[in-house]
Amino acid sequence: MSDHDKIYSTKLQDKIERNTLLMFVVTAIAVAIGGIVEIVPLFYLPNTAMAGGDGTFNNTSHKDLQGNAIPMDRIVWNPATSPHKTLDDWQPGDGVRPYKPLELAGRTIFIREGCFLCHSQMIRPFRDEKDRYGHYSIAEESMYDHTYQWGSKRTGPDLARVGGKYSDEWHRRHLYYPREVVPESVMPNYYFLDKKMVDVNKTVKTMEVMVRMPFNPVPRTVYSDAYITGAKAQVEGKTEMDAVIAFLQSLGNHVKFEEGVNYRD
Amino acid sequence: MSDNHNSAGGVPTTGHVWDDDLADLTNQPPKWWMLGLTASAIWVVVYFLMYPAIPFAVNGTFFKGIGLPGTGKWTAIKELAEDQKVLDDVRSKYENKLKGMTPAAILADKELSEYVIRSGKVLFGDNCAACHGQNGIGTIDKHGLFAPVLNDDDWLYGGTIDNIHETIAGGRQGMMTPHKDSLKPEQIDAVAKYVKALSEGKGDSEQAGKKVFMESDCTACHGPDARGMQAMGSANLTDRIWRFDGSPEGIKRTVTDGVNAGPDSRIAVMPSFKTAGKLSDTEIKKLAVYVYKFGGGVKDDVPAAAPAAR
Amino acid sequence: MEATQATPVKYDMDVVRWFTIMATVYAVVGTLIGVYVASELAWPFLNFDIPELTFGRLRPLHTNAVIFAFGGCVLMATGFYIVQRTGQTRLWSSGMAWFTFWGWNLIIVLAVITLPLGLSQGKEYAELPWWVDIMIAVVWLSFGLNHIMTTAIRKTSHIYVSNWFTMGMIVMITYLHVVNSMAIPVDWATSFSIYSGVQDAMIQWWWGHNAVGFYLTGGFLGIMYYFIPKQSGRPVFSYRLSVLHFWTLTFGYVWLGAHHLQYTALPDWTGSLGAAISLAMIIPSWGGAMNGMMTLSGAWDKLRTDYILRFLVTAMAFYAMSTFDGPVMSIKTVNALSHYTDWTVGHVHAGALGWMSMISFGALYHMVKKLWNTEMYSDSLVNVHFWVSLIGAVIYIVAMWVSGIMQGLMWRDYDEYGTLTYTFVESVSAMHPYYVMRAVGGAIFNLGTWIMLFNVVMTVRQAHAVRSVNAVAARA
Ligand code: HEC
Ligand code: HEC
Ligand code: HEC
Ligand code: HEM
Ligand code: HEM
Ligand SMILES: [Ca+2]
Ligand SMILES: [Ca+2]
Ligand SMILES: [Cu+2]
Repeated sequence: MSDHDKIYSTKLQDKIERNTLLMFVVTAIAVAIGGIVEIVPLFYLPNTAMAGGDGTFNNTSHKDLQGNAIPMDRIVWNPATSPHKTLDDWQPGDGVRPYKPLELAGRTIFIREGCFLCHSQMIRPFRDEKDRYGHYSIAEESMYDHTYQWGSKRTGPDLARVGGKYSDEWHRRHLYYPREVVPESVMPNYYFLDKKMVDVNKTVKTMEVMVRMPFNPVPRTVYSDAYITGAKAQVEGKTEMDAVIAFLQSLGNHVKFEEGVNYRD
Repeated sequence: MSDNHNSAGGVPTTGHVWDDDLADLTNQPPKWWMLGLTASAIWVVVYFLMYPAIPFAVNGTFFKGIGLPGTGKWTAIKELAEDQKVLDDVRSKYENKLKGMTPAAILADKELSEYVIRSGKVLFGDNCAACHGQNGIGTIDKHGLFAPVLNDDDWLYGGTIDNIHETIAGGRQGMMTPHKDSLKPEQIDAVAKYVKALSEGKGDSEQAGKKVFMESDCTACHGPDARGMQAMGSANLTDRIWRFDGSPEGIKRTVTDGVNAGPDSRIAVMPSFKTAGKLSDTEIKKLAVYVYKFGGGVKDDVPAAAPAAR
Repeated sequence: MEATQATPVKYDMDVVRWFTIMATVYAVVGTLIGVYVASELAWPFLNFDIPELTFGRLRPLHTNAVIFAFGGCVLMATGFYIVQRTGQTRLWSSGMAWFTFWGWNLIIVLAVITLPLGLSQGKEYAELPWWVDIMIAVVWLSFGLNHIMTTAIRKTSHIYVSNWFTMGMIVMITYLHVVNSMAIPVDWATSFSIYSGVQDAMIQWWWGHNAVGFYLTGGFLGIMYYFIPKQSGRPVFSYRLSVLHFWTLTFGYVWLGAHHLQYTALPDWTGSLGAAISLAMIIPSWGGAMNGMMTLSGAWDKLRTDYILRFLVTAMAFYAMSTFDGPVMSIKTVNALSHYTDWTVGHVHAGALGWMSMISFGALYHMVKKLWNTEMYSDSLVNVHFWVSLIGAVIYIVAMWVSGIMQGLMWRDYDEYGTLTYTFVESVSAMHPYYVMRAVGGAIFNLGTWIMLFNVVMTVRQAHAVRSVNAVAARA
C-alpha cells in the first residue's frame, strides 16, 4: 500500500469524500439545521404576530406601564370586539387592520414599481428614528403584509408611518414630479400612474387570495363575500395613482401607541 | 510510486491527484487559525449566554440571556430607553419648561427661542418643507404656488403666534366657491382683469370687473375692500402676493373652479398634525415659534391690517 | 490506483464553451445596467419618464443580470468543466446539459422582459414571476442532478474539493428557492407570498443571505479551489484546511440570514443568533482565503507575468476583505449605523466586484485558453482588464463606504441641544458626489468587461481560423 490511502482527515470524512450519495445526504442535513432553528420558531413563539385565527397570538402579551396585559384586540383590530365593525367604520387607533380594496390595489402597484428598493417600512427602536419617523414598528403591524415590504435600503425616507403626514394632493404632485416639490429628490417621476386605471378584477382576485393564505390570512369576517363583491365599486374609476396614494395614506396609524410601553418583548 | 511528486519544501501531498496535476498538500492549518476557530466557537457560546439568542420560550417567556457584565440584560427596547435617557437629560431642561408654556410665552423667552429654532429645523425640514419648501420659501409647480410662502409677512390666516399655532395644530382648508355656474365667461374675464388691476393699485381702471366683484358674492369673503378675511383665510387681493398664481389665466382658473370645492378646483389642504397624531403638542408649539421666527410673524398688539399694495 | 495519466477522456465541452461565452456577454450586460441604475441615482433625469426604465424596475434587472445571468453562467460553465476534469469522465447527460443551457438562457430572456414590465414579487433577488420560479426550479434541478450524477460516475476515488462546494450550493439553493418562492398567484403577472410580516422577512433573508453565501460565495469557492491550483501549477495549500473550511462554512453560513433583520420587529433572539455566528464566520472565511493565497507560496513571482493569476489572487484579497466587512457589519452597534445605508451597497460590491467578478474573470480566461486550445488574442489586454477592474472596483467601494457611513452618521446626529442636526433631504443631497463617483467607478469596471468580451471573441475567432487552416491542410 502506498501512502496514497493514508487518511489525513478522519475516516468519516474520507468515506464522505469517496461516496457521492453520502456527501449529498450529510450536506443536505448540515445546511438544513440553521434555517430550521431560525425560521420554524417564528411560527409558534410569542411576539411574532402569528394569529391563531381566533383573536389569539401565540401567547403574545404586551404589558402597559402598570404591568397589565394590553388586550390583543387593542393591537390588532378585531371586528367582533371592536365598536367599529367593518373596514369602512374602522378608525385610526382601532388596531392593525387588513387593507381596504383601493389600498390593496395600491400596494400591488407599490410592489410592481419597486418602491421598496428605496423606501424601508420598518422603523427600528432608535431615538433618532423615533424623532424622524415616529414610534418603532411592531410585528403585528405587518401581519397582513403578504410579501412583506420592509425593504433594506433608505435611498428615500422610511414610509412606515407616512399615512396622514401629507395631503393626497401633495402625494399626487410629489409622485408626478418629485423634484417639483423636493428639488434635491432622486426619486423617479411617476406621473404615468395617473394614466392607468386600477384593474378591478385583479383587485378582487387579490382579496380572494388574501383570504386563502395559509398563514395570517385576512379573516373571512372582514373580507366577507359581500365585502369583496362591494370592493368593485370602491376601485371602479380610480387611477393607479389614486390607489398608491390610498395605500400610502393607510400606513402607520393603526395602533395607538402609548409612550414608554414596550411593544416588542 | 511516489505520490508526493507535488510536494514542495518537503511537505507531502495527500497522494490524491485530479485532472493530471491537482493535489492537496498535507500542511496543517496555521496555529493561529485553529486557535481562532476555537475562539469563535467559544465566542458563540458566550454570546448566546449573554444575549437573548435562544429560540425557546416557556409560557411566553424567553431566556433573555444572563446579561452583559456591568450593564445587565440586553433587549433592543432597553437599549432604546437608555439612549433616549441620554438625550432627554440634555433636552429636559428646555422641554419641561416648554410643556407648560404657551407659544407666545416661548417666543418671549430668549433662551427657549434659541432652543426651539435649533430643534425646529429638522422638524420643519422633515414635516413641512415638502409643501412649504426648505426655510418656508414655498414650492411651486406648474399650477402655481403649492402652499403659502412662510418666510414673508403676508398671511392668509393671520401671522400672530397664536394664529400660526392654530394653523399647524388644526390644519387649514380655505374654501372658495367655484363661479363657473354663477358667472358668465365674460364676467369671469372681467372680474379677473379687475383683480389683476387691483393688485397693481389701479382697480378703478376696470369698472366692468369691479361691478361683477361688488355684485357677485366676492365681497362676502374677500370683503368690499378686497383685502380678505383672515378668519376664513380668504386672500388679500390688493397686494401683489399671490397665493396661487397671479397670471390672468391663473386668476381666471381660481375664480372659475374655486378652491377646495370639488375635484376640478384648486386643492389647498394643510393637514392637521394634531389629529393625524404626527406631532406632539410641544412639537407643534415649537414649529409655531419656528415659523414665526422666519421673520414674518406679526405682533399681537399690532392690528392685523393688511399691508398696502406694494 | 488513480488514473493520473490514464487514457485521455473525451470531455463534453461544447456546452461549457457556450456557457463561457454567455458569461462573458452577461458580464458586460449586467454591469452596464448597474452603471445605468447608478447613474439614475446621480442624475435622476435618466429615468426619462419611461416606466420600464425607472430605478425601481431596473435595479432588480441589474441584480438578476449579475447574479443569475453572469454569475449563473460562470457557475455552470465552471461547474461542468471542473466536474468532468476532476472526475475524468464525461457529463452524465449531455442532453440534459443542453437543456440546462437553453433553459437558463430562456429564464434570463424572460427576466429581461418581465422585470422592466414591473412583474415583481417584491422580494430582493427573488423578483421573477411565479411561473418563472417554477422554470428556475426545473432548470436548476437539471443542472444539479447532472452535476451530482457526474460526480457519482467519476473515475477518481475521491471527490475533488471544488465539487463539494458545488454540491453544497446545489442542495442549499434548492431548499432556499423552493421555500422562499412559496406564493399564491393572482394572475400571470402577480403573486403574493404565503408568509407575511415577520415570518416572510426571515424567510426572505434566509434566502437572501444564503444566495450570497452558497451561490455567490460557495459556488465561487469551488471555482477558486480548481483554478488557483491549476493556473499556478501548485497543490492546494492545506487539505485539512479545505475540509474545515467546507464544513464550517456549510454548517455556519446558513445561520447568518438574521443579521439582515437586527432591531427590526423580529424577536431579539433572531438578530442575536445571526450576529453571533456572523462574527464567528470570519475565521472559516479567512481560512478559505488563506488556502487560496497560500497555494501560491513559493510561486509568488508568477504574479508578475501571469495576469490571469492576478485576477484569481486579487479575488482572494477581496474575499478576505468582504468577509471581514460583513462580520463587522453584523455587530449590533455597527449594524445600527450601517443598515439601510450605502455601506451595505459598498459591502455587496466589495464581494461582487472584487471577489466574485474577479475570480470569474480569472476562471473565464483560463477556460477560454483551454477550451479553444489557444493562447489569448492579447495577453496585455488581460492585464489592462485587470487594472481597469481593480481601479473601477476600488472607486466604487470607497465611494459607497464613505457615503454609507456619512449617511448613517447624518441620520443619527444630534446637536448640543439634543435635537436632530440634519433633515433627511440634506442626507440625500450629500450623497450626490458619491453617487457620481460610484457611477464613474462602475463605468470603468464595465469598460473592463468590454475589453474581456473583445479579447475573448478575438481569441475564439483566431482559434477557429487556425483550426480551419489546419483542417484544410489536413485534407490537402
Ligand atoms: C430612486 C429611489 C426612489 C424610488 C424608486 C422611489 N422613491 Fe420615493 N423618495 C425617494 C427620495 C430620495 C425621497 C426623499 C425626497 C423626496 O421627498 O422626494 C422620496 C420620498 C418619498 C415620499 C415622501 C416621504 C416623506 O416622508 O417625506 C413618499 C411618500 C414616496 N417617496 C413614495 C414613493 C413611492 C410610492 C414610490 C414608488 C411608486 C417611490 N417613492 C419610489 C426615492 C425614491
Ligand atoms: C400637505 C402639504 C402641507 C404640509 C405637509 C404642511 N402644510 Fe402648511 N399649508 C399647506 C397649505 C396648502 C396651506 C394653505 C391652506 C389654505 O390655503 O387654506 C398651508 C398653510 C400654512 C400656514 C398658514 C399660512 C398663512 O399664510 O396663513 C402655516 C403657518 C403653515 N401652513 C405651517 C406649516 C407647518 C409648520 C407645517 C409642518 C408641521 C406645515 N405647514 C405642513 C400645506 C401644507
Ligand atoms: C366662500 C368664500 C369665497 C368667495 C365667495 C370668493 N372667494 Fe376668492 N378666495 C377665498 C379664499 C378662502 C381664498 C384663499 C384660498 C386658499 O388659499 O386656500 C380665495 C382666493 C382667491 C383668489 C386667489 C388669490 C391669490 O393670491 O392667488 C382670487 C383671485 C379670488 N379668491 C377671487 C375671488 C373672486 C373674484 C370672487 C368672486 C367672484 C371670489 N374670490 C369669491 C374665498 C372666497
Ligand atoms: C459596473 C459595475 C456595477 C455597478 C455600477 C453596480 C451598481 C449598482 C447599483 C447602483 C445598485 C443599487 C444600489 C442602491 O440601491 O443604492 C446595485 C445593487 C446591487 N448590485 Fe451592483 N453594480 C455593479 C456590479 C455588480 C456585480 C458584478 C454584482 C454581482 C453580483 C452586483 C450585485 C449587486 C447586488 C447584489 C445589489 C443589491 C444590493 C443591496 O440590495 O443592498 N453588482 N448595484
Ligand atoms: C462572513 C461573511 C459575511 C458576512 C457576515 C456578511 C454580513 C452582511 C451584513 C451584516 C449585511 C448587511 C445586512 C443589512 O444591514 O441589511 C450584508 C449584506 C449583504 N452582503 Fe454580506 N456578509 C458576508 C459576506 C458577503 C460576501 C462574500 C458577499 C458577496 C459576494 C456578500 C453579499 C452581500 C449582499 C448582496 C448584501 C445585501 C443584502 C441586501 O440586499 O440588503 N456578503 N452582509
Ligand atoms: Ca438590499
Ligand atoms: Ca405668506
Ligand atoms: Cu447576509
